[in-house]
Amino acid sequence: MQQFLSSPGLQLVIAALFGAAGVYLLLPKPKMRSVSVGTFLVVASLAVLGLFLYTRFASPLLTRTGETDIMGSVMFWFFSGAATLFSLVLLTQRNPARGAIAFAFVILSTCGLFLLLAAPFLMAATIVVYAGAIIVTFLFVLMLSNVRGVSDENDRTREPLLGSLAGFAFLGLLLFTLHQSAPSLNSESSVVPVLLTTKERVSIEQAFLKAEAALSAETAIEQVDLAKQVRQLVAEGLEPTTYGSQVPLSRLDPVKKDPRVEAFLQSQSELLAATNKLDDALINNAATTKDQLKTVRDKLAVFRGSTDLPARNVANIGVLLYSEYLLAVEMAGTLLLVATIGAVTIANRRKGVMA
Amino acid sequence: MISLWHFLAIGAVLFSLGLIGFLTRRNFITMFLCAELMLQGVVINLLAFGRYHGTLQGQVFGLFIITVAACEAGLAMAFFLVLYKRAKTLDSSDWQDTREHGLAATLDLEPLKQPVVEEAPTLPVAGLVPEQPEVMMEEPSRV
Repeated sequence: MQQFLSSPGLQLVIAALFGAAGVYLLLPKPKMRSVSVGTFLVVASLAVLGLFLYTRFASPLLTRTGETDIMGSVMFWFFSGAATLFSLVLLTQRNPARGAIAFAFVILSTCGLFLLLAAPFLMAATIVVYAGAIIVTFLFVLMLSNVRGVSDENDRTREPLLGSLAGFAFLGLLLFTLHQSAPSLNSESSVVPVLLTTKERVSIEQAFLKAEAALSAETAIEQVDLAKQVRQLVAEGLEPTTYGSQVPLSRLDPVKKDPRVEAFLQSQSELLAATNKLDDALINNAATTKDQLKTVRDKLAVFRGSTDLPARNVANIGVLLYSEYLLAVEMAGTLLLVATIGAVTIANRRKGVMA
Repeated sequence: MISLWHFLAIGAVLFSLGLIGFLTRRNFITMFLCAELMLQGVVINLLAFGRYHGTLQGQVFGLFIITVAACEAGLAMAFFLVLYKRAKTLDSSDWQDTREHGLAATLDLEPLKQPVVEEAPTLPVAGLVPEQPEVMMEEPSRV
């Protein structure tokens, strides 16, 4: 059992084999269709898959110190389980009308997952669009399929064994790749501090900001250096230009007496005096600390999802759509128009009458 | 704690189930629904990445996917209508004449199980007393 728990490849192979066999038995065909054995195998496969997800990718019920996300975990498992279950029903159901109903439930479950992913607008849009689409599909099923008796298209499948094997091999390989790329809780090489409280996170942020301020001081020093060079050149009676040509001092005299130039040079020297107090070691430290903190913060963000999304979802999506993605929006609108025209043209075509 | 990889895994499951359905089923409408299932898996992936990087780009891409799915649905339904008008069936194997040159045709060799058809009830001949069951104590069931 311990061996089984500690070997992700074995778990995935077992899940994929069970799933392929179960789906093969459940797919409609004249011979070898066994609903009970198929259901058993598929449920076993889902159980192994759930175990894989639970043990491999950072146990979902893990409590941080002071923070517990039981509700989110329960909702995640509920919605994802429902989505998987109803998509299996859609896959293996002989009656396409029942398949359409199962698809409606799949859509509802994925909309729950959308909510968990902080996308309420997309959830509403999906429900509205797909509610219409599913109702239309349902009407088509009722209109076009002959519900009485057996039919070739509903009671047969094309290459059920090869199809299910290929699909589940694909799934297993995909999950194995995901597992290899995922940061695991147990690995020592992981830089990510796992048990991080909000207070610790805040202190990291503060250190980050301080490091950033130190770095901006460093850029100020660079500017002062530049100003110093300019000043030296001016004192030597030469004017640096963008072309690299040198101008004699006599032509600079009126500029040099300008009080604004004098004030500028004065302020630069004051800034220089202030920044000279920062020693180099401190600045170097700040730079390396900033890099390290940035790495930690990025990893933390990806691992934990602690990066925050803007609160006003709809308003922000709207701004993004009509500023950054304006061209894409226009093209999507054009695509819809063309698709509508095409659908009307295709559906109205009669035999022998070509428009 | 639900990490990014959980959502990616669910997306992968939905995608591969849709893939199996699209490859094996023969009813046009079921195939269409399975293609939509694959799109749902992709949208979950996009949203998960957007969520865990803290940007809205994933949601914008999700919106465009829904748009394309709507176009696809409209065209697919129009095609189904035309194909049904010509062949009176939704079986995609009826259109296998258009397959690639050199591929063998899919033949259905095994007969389908015919459902048992009950005979319609007939009235007794006029003038004869119909046979009565022995016991009529219980309420007749309303099946």
